[in-house]
Amino acid sequence: MGKESNRPAGEGKNALWSFFASVRLTVVLLIVIAVSAVLGTVVPQQEEAQRFLRDLPPGLVSVLQFLQIFDMYHSVWFLLMMALLAVNLTVCSVNRFPRTWRIFSSARSGGRGSPFGGGAADHVFSLPGPHAREAERLEGILRKRFGTVRRAEEKGVITLHGEKGAFSYFGVYVVHASILVILAGAIIGSLSGFDGYVNIPEGETVDAVKLRGGQGTKKLDFAVRCDRFTVEFYENGMPKEFRSDLAFLRGGKTVHEGPLRVNHPIEFAGIRFYQASYGNIPGKARLTVTEGGSRKKLLEVAAGEQFELPGRKATVSVLRVEENLMNMGPAVKLGVMSEGGGIAFWVFRQIREIEEANPGITKQVPQFNPGLYKPYVFSLDGIESAYYTGLQVSTDPGIPVVAAGATLMVAGFMLVFLFSHRQVWVRVEEKGGNCRVSLIGRCNRDPAGLARDMNALTAAEVK
Amino acid sequence: MNIVILNWVTFIYFGAAVFYFITMLREEGFWGKAATVTASVGLAAQTVALIVRWVESHRMGIGHAPLSNLYESLIFFSWTVMLLYLIMEFRIKNRSAGPFVTPFTFLLMAYASLSPNISGQIQPLIPALKSNWLTSHVLTCFMGYASFAIAGGLGCMYLLKGEEGRAGEIPASSLARFLPSRDALDELLYQCAILGFIFLTLGIITGAVWAHYAWGRYWGWDPKETWSLITWLVYAALLHSRYVRGWRGRRMAVMALVGLACVLFTYLGVNYLPGLHSYLQS
Repeated sequence: MGKESNRPAGEGKNALWSFFASVRLTVVLLIVIAVSAVLGTVVPQQEEAQRFLRDLPPGLVSVLQFLQIFDMYHSVWFLLMMALLAVNLTVCSVNRFPRTWRIFSSARSGGRGSPFGGGAADHVFSLPGPHAREAERLEGILRKRFGTVRRAEEKGVITLHGEKGAFSYFGVYVVHASILVILAGAIIGSLSGFDGYVNIPEGETVDAVKLRGGQGTKKLDFAVRCDRFTVEFYENGMPKEFRSDLAFLRGGKTVHEGPLRVNHPIEFAGIRFYQASYGNIPGKARLTVTEGGSRKKLLEVAAGEQFELPGRKATVSVLRVEENLMNMGPAVKLGVMSEGGGIAFWVFRQIREIEEANPGITKQVPQFNPGLYKPYVFSLDGIESAYYTGLQVSTDPGIPVVAAGATLMVAGFMLVFLFSHRQVWVRVEEKGGNCRVSLIGRCNRDPAGLARDMNALTAAEVK
Repeated sequence: MNIVILNWVTFIYFGAAVFYFITMLREEGFWGKAATVTASVGLAAQTVALIVRWVESHRMGIGHAPLSNLYESLIFFSWTVMLLYLIMEFRIKNRSAGPFVTPFTFLLMAYASLSPNISGQIQPLIPALKSNWLTSHVLTCFMGYASFAIAGGLGCMYLLKGEEGRAGEIPASSLARFLPSRDALDELLYQCAILGFIFLTLGIITGAVWAHYAWGRYWGWDPKETWSLITWLVYAALLHSRYVRGWRGRRMAVMALVGLACVLFTYLGVNYLPGLHSYLQS
């Protein structure tokens, strides 16, 4: 577009229009957006902010929260700046478009007349032949490079005009439009999509997900069951694959199932499921109850379950199941309720090792004594650990729009950067028995490309 | 094997940088040719090393393009800078940018080889990196970074060359004579910025597509994403200030250096902020 002044094209436009038409506003907005974006990468955001907030005085916290500093990228003022930028972009483009259209259409209709009247030509050289024939030859060269060539003849002076790439002026509008399309897609996504997560223990089924940003839960109109979660490791211990076998159910019936892996989401009923995280939850504990050193009973229990002791009227509640309690290995906490009252104690799997390392510990700390409720002695044989899978669950109807915007942007860049508007005028006239050729070349970008065009013509001289 | 070659490449690039410096002090001639030959040999060796590394990873049964961790990214960054520089040198038939660009390739290699925190071992891909988008994302991003690095080098040259000779000033130290004209520098810088901008845009787009498949969102204001956007805005401002305001020369040089600072922060500085892209986590 060359150097253009920044005055509005039309007269009588109001002050608001000229405010939004100013490139200075663009620069200010871009700087403010960039600086706040930097701020957002330094100040902890969303969930991370909670930890950070505890160390600040409450007055400051409420001010910062009012300014939405801890969810900056979704704050009203940040979105407002984006909206201002979009308006600014639109107004600037609308403002400049008529001028671009004039340049384009005047180029189409043969340019603003021959530029030879104005000043000196860029190249002048002589050719031996009669000027009509040399003009023919030059026109051939020009046609090869420019396609169509316009020819005018006046008082024996032949003027040729080759021109191409005028459409590249519109590239910048395509790029600007693409940014608006992407923003529109983002708005569609934030209004009609959702972004949630859910943890499903193996074997269990859920039909609701938690929404991010503490916005409650969302009920799904189907259920999801995690049949199995597996982690594979490489030989060096790095994780190789996280995989959840999911089943999607409607009315209790499986209607779709498949493995979910990182980078390979599953889409069901317009909602996408992503493998996001996983974790361990203690599952069933295997306990052995020995009564008076002889009668044994094996049990499999999970936290929250209860069982009766044989022979006596006592109920045992499994209070906690821990995979590793205080670095002393797996343990379960049992509470025994009987007519005589209630007691609670821990049963460690590695109780023998613990006693060897700390002789007398079961005496000093009775809660560590697995035989505290006489005459029963409990031992923990193991805990089956189960996985839960953490899924990211979301839907974003704005995605096709954003994708179209991105494609448009790349197309716009190609117009802007790969093509340039180039024009060459050739004047051929009879001068002192010789044929004199004058060249003028103009381009909006890519002087190297113009130089190649000009060289092709000046090469005619040597022949 | 690949690491042995890459250690040699570090020395070769050091040699190339030294030769380019000598060229700057002693004008064109033998040293200039020596510099170009050394740099080309280094680039060829580095290319071989990258291929060997790729093949070795396949032999280990964990085959992937060597673009997966900080070590590999530094090596690849250095490779793209050297490649683009040599293409530019060949096209403009001028070695004057050599002393400003080749030390950067050497520094990247030296950092990769010598830093105790960076392992040169071929590692398997963690699940998040197992994607077809890995190669295209890293490729486009580093082509962009490399173009910006060269634009930054040209910006340095412009500033060293100094402003247009004021009346009565004695023209040109030997350094200023060695450097190309201001117009040529300005034009080259602009071309590099355009190339970088296109590749950065493609890098951000491929990254967004990948994020969509891996994390369930195309944009999440992760520090790396945010900083890449900041970098993009800086170069968008650079291009606009030239198109619309007609800025040339010194201002462009300064903006190219500001942009390069953003690029380096996007690449390395972001590791010290919490986020999904942090190389330090793995």
